[in-house]
Amino acid sequence: MRDNEARPSFVPRSVTPVAATAGPVILFTAGGVRFAVEASEVEEIRNREERVAIRRLKGAESIDFALQVGLGAGILERFVVLKPGECSLGVSEVERMTILPKVVPLPGLFRGEERRWYRGLLLLENEVVPLVRTEYWRTAARPAREAGSGV
Amino acid sequence: MNDTTRFVTFPLGEERYALDSSQVKELVMPSRVYAFPHTMRSLEGVLVRRGAVIPVCDLRGAFGHGTERNLYVIARCHYAGRAETVAIPVSGEVELVQGERGEAPENVTFVTGLLRTGGRIIPLLALDQVVAHCIQPGIALAGEAKR
Repeated sequence: MRDNEARPSFVPRSVTPVAATAGPVILFTAGGVRFAVEASEVEEIRNREERVAIRRLKGAESIDFALQVGLGAGILERFVVLKPGECSLGVSEVERMTILPKVVPLPGLFRGEERRWYRGLLLLENEVVPLVRTEYWRTAARPAREAGSGV
Repeated sequence: MNDTTRFVTFPLGEERYALDSSQVKELVMPSRVYAFPHTMRSLEGVLVRRGAVIPVCDLRGAFGHGTERNLYVIARCHYAGRAETVAIPVSGEVELVQGERGEAPENVTFVTGLLRTGGRIIPLLALDQVVAHCIQPGIALAGEAKR
């Protein structure tokens, strides 16, 4: 066990506080998989044609979400702009908004990067949907923004 | 010192293994495994049982058993110093037996002892050890994230 704790790729569990309840969430798909983001963390949702205009206006950098979570390069049809507007998640489709039913923490056996990617898992209509950790994705977009390049 | 208690036995690969029944929470029929992108080798996804999310750990990396699965053995283990629950897919017959626990032979991996029951000797699975062996985080796996 001590060996495992020493592995540098382990993500400390302390980064995974999970709220028992939260507001509504927006469901989106990326790479064929459904994810959720808290609506209160989203500034706006734009389509592909509007992306260039958003970037010019706000300097918002886009992340290919599917690519970042290992699903391969995604088809970026929609851009979920996270508050305060400096970063957007490029996704295939934005499905709908729904009331957050229940968030459960990621089981402790998941000890890799997924602990940074997700706040927890939503139990939603007989489905389990990862709830993205927006603070991480804002940070993840920063290097691209600083380098002056994005998706 | 040996003790007598109840054990759950099940096949993994070519061998039959046992877990102390106190370690086994339940046996469940195959149900939907919810997969999502992650980086942990051998974790297939999660099962949902009465509102709880249970990771499914495929032990083929250690035992090489077939793809068919009859049941999930949901058991308690310790990983990285914490108590966790894990679902182990197994194929074949699962038994609840009474027996006597003996010491493990030397130089045998993933075995914490030997169970003597009804004239048979069945290795007791070191679940903590085998789970830690099978699941490892790695960025490289992100490209193989499960859908």
